[in-house]
Amino acid sequence: MSLIHLEGLSKVYRVGDQEIRALDEVNLRIEEGEFIAIIGSSGSGKSTLMHLLGCLDTPTAGRMEICGKDLAKASNDELASVRNREIGFVFQAFNLLPKLDVVSNIALPLIYAGVPSRERLARARKVAADVGLGDRLANRPPQLSGGQCQRVAIARALVNNPRILFGDEPTGNLDSATGKMILEMFDTLHASGKTIVLVTHDPAIAARSRRVIEIRDGRITREYAP
Amino acid sequence: MNPLVAISIGLHEIAAHKFRTCLSMLGIVLGVSSLIATMALTRGIEEGTRIFMQQMGGLELVSIVNKEPSSRKYEFANLSPGRTLRDAEAIRRSASFISHVSPEISLNTAVATEGGGNPDRRVVRGVYPDHFVIGMHTVAAGRFLTPLDIERGSRCTVVGDTVAKKLWPGVPPQLIVGKTILIDSRPFEVVGVLALYEMEEQARARRAGKRSTRGWDPFRQKNEAVLVPFTTMFHELRSGAFPLDSLDTMKLETLTVRVADLDHFHSALDQVQGILDITHRGVDDFDLDTRQDWFDRMESSVRAARLSGGLISAISLVVGGIGIMNIMLASISERVREIGIRLAVGARQRDIFWQILIESVLVSLLGGLLGILASLGLIEILKTISPTENVPVLTPDAILLAVGFAIAAGLLSGLYPAAKASGIDPITALRYE
Repeated sequence: MSLIHLEGLSKVYRVGDQEIRALDEVNLRIEEGEFIAIIGSSGSGKSTLMHLLGCLDTPTAGRMEICGKDLAKASNDELASVRNREIGFVFQAFNLLPKLDVVSNIALPLIYAGVPSRERLARARKVAADVGLGDRLANRPPQLSGGQCQRVAIARALVNNPRILFGDEPTGNLDSATGKMILEMFDTLHASGKTIVLVTHDPAIAARSRRVIEIRDGRITREYAP
Repeated sequence: MNPLVAISIGLHEIAAHKFRTCLSMLGIVLGVSSLIATMALTRGIEEGTRIFMQQMGGLELVSIVNKEPSSRKYEFANLSPGRTLRDAEAIRRSASFISHVSPEISLNTAVATEGGGNPDRRVVRGVYPDHFVIGMHTVAAGRFLTPLDIERGSRCTVVGDTVAKKLWPGVPPQLIVGKTILIDSRPFEVVGVLALYEMEEQARARRAGKRSTRGWDPFRQKNEAVLVPFTTMFHELRSGAFPLDSLDTMKLETLTVRVADLDHFHSALDQVQGILDITHRGVDDFDLDTRQDWFDRMESSVRAARLSGGLISAISLVVGGIGIMNIMLASISERVREIGIRLAVGARQRDIFWQILIESVLVSLLGGLLGILASLGLIEILKTISPTENVPVLTPDAILLAVGFAIAAGLLSGLYPAAKASGIDPITALRYE
């Protein structure tokens, strides 16, 4: 049983009379513990695929199973629950809440998981220490560097102990040295057993993964191991 | 999501935008304070009315008052003898639903102690024993006037507390009974002293040794009473002034009856009407004025005041609600990205919905609390400018009602922004700058 199983997955946007096929009959299996990179130029459909895999959107047609759940026709609440428990996101723009301090940012998913306040903070502190932010707990994101922000985001993605970690150009806003450090963190997480899906346009970053999937015009055109 | 978390997020949001929140609360503050003030004001008027009604006697009392006869009967209006003792006698004999009848005449004259000490001009009233019940009197010492006093036209009198204190300062009522006073230079024996009538508030102030600050006393007339038998009044005091009158033809000043049983109120009125139609020879020169009529009149004016105040408050609350809605809409369009992030990490649409709704209710609740504080100040101001008998009364149900309306305004005005926020698409929201 694959962790992620896509079959004939399509996503069609309608803009006026025009139909835009962002994804066209994509078939893909991802097993638990894989480190996979989805690569493609802008407009290729990789972001759409990423949004579908991340349960932020529903497909127009096809089958989509994630963690054994059929999510192609899932309700918004079911998708929210999968996002909360099975998936962690790391975005290019960090997407932290600037008004909250580091601990509260990391603990955010636990609010929606219904974890009591005391346990929320304890778990957030532990994960913060794991990513090396144990001394910046009371700071707020605008006071942190880009690399630190991205580590907060990784900690937030990990706090509810998900099975899959998505990175959407996670190094896009960082200088190369910090970017390298973040990618090393992904390596470490992969080694500890997490399934990792990186979305990028940069072949050098994709090369760190074990399996690269290339997308063009909404179709998987190539699949190779670097 | 735990509601406490939503409340805490809401409070943080409010704290982060203090000035904006204050502005959006303004309408609610005004609405709540004006609502509470209106309720307190009308409540005060009601209270004043109630005390006034108490002083005037209960619903059982019916006054027979003069009226201009209708034009149809104008030509033979002089056939009617007007309100006389015969009316009282006829009602007493024939109206089975009437328990007491009190005809009354009065004379404004000098009252002094024996030897002419402490003279004062007072309204001396000639009454029947039934006046004891109809005027709702209590004697502190001695007795009230009796039928024997009426029959014999004896020179005896019952005085009110204020009169007794003025004539014999510091003498207890028990020792006043038996003393003699001069009414219009004629000696009368004091057979009874009436109790001191006062309101609870004044009684408390007196017991605490303070002087009551209120200028208006609904019991003043009762406390200043000098009552003598009706017949004595006529023969001894009035006959000189009106030599042509006989006891039966003399016009009464007031004629009040008391209905025995409120269940038969309308039958009683019909009886009195029927009897007076005969004694007045069919001339409709009288009217039956019930306390219910008074009460209805006062009630309707209170209702009008409450309605207009309530309307102003309602408008303020609606405006306040719109203000909150406006701010909440501005707030969510500013927080699209935040909402996107919350959705991405697993918030359900209803979590977002509740968060915005609770925030809106928190703003209105805060406005409501400030409104209560403002209303306390407003009521203090109203107290100094409103007539003393209608001092505003603040009641807990007014506060509860106002807070309830504030919360309702917050809920209603939060619904649309909350629905809008929860409908935000996470992907669009995450890209939003």
